[in-house]
Amino acid sequence: MDPTEVEFLAEKEIVKIIPNFSLDKIYLIGGDLGPFNPGLPVQVPVWLALNLKQRQKCRILPPQWMDVDKLEEVREMERKEDSFTPPPSPYYMELTKLLLNHASDNIPKADEIRTLVKDIWDTRIAKLRLSADSFISQQEAHAKLDNLTLMEINTTRSFLLGSLNCMFKLRSNMQPGTSTGKGPDY
Amino acid sequence: MSDALSENGSEQNDSQEELMTPVELIAKLEEAWLNEKFSPDLLENKSEVVECVMEQLTHMEDNLQRVSKGDMKASVHRMEIDRIRFVLSSYLRSRLQKIEKFFPHVLEKEKSRADGDPSYLSPEEYAFAREYLANTETYLKAVALRHMPPNLQAVDMMKAVPEPCLDSFVFLRVKEQQDNIMVEPETDDQREYVVDLDVGSQHLMRYRTIAPLVSTGAVQLI
Repeated sequence: MDPTEVEFLAEKEIVKIIPNFSLDKIYLIGGDLGPFNPGLPVQVPVWLALNLKQRQKCRILPPQWMDVDKLEEVREMERKEDSFTPPPSPYYMELTKLLLNHASDNIPKADEIRTLVKDIWDTRIAKLRLSADSFISQQEAHAKLDNLTLMEINTTRSFLLGSLNCMFKLRSNMQPGTSTGKGPDY
Repeated sequence: MSDALSENGSEQNDSQEELMTPVELIAKLEEAWLNEKFSPDLLENKSEVVECVMEQLTHMEDNLQRVSKGDMKASVHRMEIDRIRFVLSSYLRSRLQKIEKFFPHVLEKEKSRADGDPSYLSPEEYAFAREYLANTETYLKAVALRHMPPNLQAVDMMKAVPEPCLDSFVFLRVKEQQDNIMVEPETDDQREYVVDLDVGSQHLMRYRTIAPLVSTGAVQLI
């Protein structure tokens, strides 16, 4: 899966915005939005929030977890624990990126948040590499991956699954053409 | 199917589809999209979902025709349509890619399916697979096979094209509790064991083990 597709899924998350225009309720296929009144916070999906922001029609309120104190706590937890702690949001990396790139003027202490999220990400990816390594060296057939986010899974997907398939082929000593691998020459 | 309406050919929506709200419909489409993207094998076709989504989209686009260009609401609607259309095309494209990759096996599976079982391919996909097979055969014949000695001119497509590898690992999230799923050992000196799949938990395991759960919708590939 392409990282942009993970971002696409993250854009479905709901954020609060404060619009500066008024508009009746919008009846979208995927649910109703609005009504929009100037100054009154309203919940919209991220894709719409970013679009409105780019057209300077709203102010985005950062999600609750996007807060320096809370993220520092998460970072400490993440460094202390050996296993994965629950992520601040299932799309924390993507949302941080999207919101900070397009609406950094609406988010207090944007630079600190960026650094903190990067720290959390790095710690988690290091753990992920470590567990992938032990998964392979112990030749496990099942792993539980609670608290991993889609973006994290996605960064390791093609490499990990590719190597597992390769090892499987080497081990199972299969005849060409019966399964997997390349077919025989025509 | 006891519903009298569904027997009426002119009635397009049968009772089952009308029970689904558009929100659920879009969620279904996204589920099918991700499952299809990550499963090594071709899954059952979801033509009823695809048709319903198409209907919603055309309906919405027709409505938008009547709205003036600069309208704010219309632009929001258009953005949503583009997003749904992206998922829909990506879903159909990933199915076509798998059909191209495994066409003899896909056709064989379709042929050996018992009457009354749901078809894996939509009629359009079936036509595509048949044509793809015929074209490949013609092509091989034209460029190489006819220059071969007669005893080497036959090619068994089933053997020439690799089968989908069901032993690939997949990532999944559990949507309905499943107990006692058998995990086969990787090496001979390990023993097989069972795991419970709790709702909301995420796992990495072989596709073969959980393939039936994907088609019932108990797990979601991620």
